[in-house]
Amino acid sequence: MAELAIRMAFSLAQIAVVMGIIMLTIMVLTLAERKVLGWMQDRMGPMEVGPYGILQPIADGLKLFFKEDIVPAGANRFLFSLAPILALVPALIGFAVIPFGPDSTVELFGIQFKPFIISDINIGILYILAFTSIGAYGIILGGWASNSKYSLLGGLRAAAQVISYELNVGLAIVGVLLLAGSLSLVKITQAQAGWFWNWYIFAPPFPQLLAFVVYVISAVAETNRVPFDLPEAESELVAGFFTEYSGMRFAFFFIAEYGNMILVSCIAAALFLGGWNAPYPGTALARLGFAQFAWAENVVWFAAKVYFFLFLFFWLRATLPRLRYDQLMRFGWKVMLPIALGNILVTAIAAYLFPRG
Amino acid sequence: MNRFKAWIKTITFYEILVGMMATMRHLLNYKPITLQYPHEKRTLPDSYRGMLALLRYDDGTEKCVGCDLCEAACPSRVIRVVSAEVPGEPTKRFAKEYYMDMTRCLFCGLCVDACPVDALGMTREYEWAVYDKRHLHLNKEQLLAIGDRSYPVREKRLEFQHPNVAFFNVAFKNLPPKES
Repeated sequence: MAELAIRMAFSLAQIAVVMGIIMLTIMVLTLAERKVLGWMQDRMGPMEVGPYGILQPIADGLKLFFKEDIVPAGANRFLFSLAPILALVPALIGFAVIPFGPDSTVELFGIQFKPFIISDINIGILYILAFTSIGAYGIILGGWASNSKYSLLGGLRAAAQVISYELNVGLAIVGVLLLAGSLSLVKITQAQAGWFWNWYIFAPPFPQLLAFVVYVISAVAETNRVPFDLPEAESELVAGFFTEYSGMRFAFFFIAEYGNMILVSCIAAALFLGGWNAPYPGTALARLGFAQFAWAENVVWFAAKVYFFLFLFFWLRATLPRLRYDQLMRFGWKVMLPIALGNILVTAIAAYLFPRG
Repeated sequence: MNRFKAWIKTITFYEILVGMMATMRHLLNYKPITLQYPHEKRTLPDSYRGMLALLRYDDGTEKCVGCDLCEAACPSRVIRVVSAEVPGEPTKRFAKEYYMDMTRCLFCGLCVDACPVDALGMTREYEWAVYDKRHLHLNKEQLLAIGDRSYPVREKRLEFQHPNVAFFNVAFKNLPPKES
């Protein structure tokens, strides 16, 4: 009983810390996106709140918190309230299986804990895919329940887009799963230890470069980011599925979008770029004799990979215009899907002929 | 061969990479063209046409003679002049009331060109955002106040400017003594 209580307390503490870091990252991201976008377009980004505008996320949060909560006339009140939660929860729940650092254990009150892994379930990646699919319901229901034609169109677009591209995400991951022989993110990351050519993007017998490209493109589409931001195309649909949302409900959608961005970046880092592993075997700190601080280096590598992907999101947004709807669908079904399927075929043959270790 | 090249470019996302390099180049040598407006303001050109104002002579009397030419010249009917005789001086007229509806003004400067006595001037003021658009319906006192703060150097009265200058709208008792 006492052990259970300690485990519960430790898990809750882990969840609290991870949620805090995710929320902090989202705050930083909202500012970083506007800043990076501004710099890339020869602007300055937010400059007014605090020095160089660094307090802008706090101002935004306060503003959204005190905004009036409007429910449009004729809206389905229940689904209208449910949709933002349905979008936010799946975006945050996926972090439960992300390995943020090495799976070393610490002993606390005589019980072993893994401080950087909230839970290592053996179907980790399936769990994330399942929950991100539920996130699409939040968008679709939010679009439908708003009783607005723009929201409805945004929701319908989101439905078609998220389903088409989630398929590609799932198929792109299969190659990695074939090579790793596991669905657990921790095991997949462990299998990529050593030099950086062991990362699945470069790994023999068949590098997953194609799968990586398909995954990144599909992940951008799945999180409804530019150039695949058709569900919220502001030049056509006002704001798409959250046109009618205001205040904290709008903030929920916003946090969900950025949470999804972080989540897909974490998955990409863990599956293709070796997760917490450094590009060289072991850690530099361990070699220098600070083995007890080696976890810090691993966590920094993981964070660096995740932030690289997040920067890639901003970079794409600053560069590319939005796709047309038929282009989006054709690209998803006629280009991405065959590449992903072909990749599975070749990877399966390669994994059969040259089994690793 | 060209088709093969185009195909290679397509599958390597060549065009997208070129675009991304362009944005990255702008990020790396970051030279913003933004002007932080309320904190720094751009230098106005010399011929800047800003807020309209009514002017005075150096003795503090209004220049306006109430001729209504500005009202006639205005293409968007901003100006309304109510002209009247100066009491006790039957040959002299002035604008008893003078209104400008600056919500409609397009700052063309035709009224300034039309004025025979240079009573109107365009200042370099442009920060005239107000919360109530009725505050942009200006009367004579407000226009004169704008002129007072924008034109600190005032002209002499016409009849004192030069012995050969033609003048009008002057009561005979105010005529300057002829130099003999």
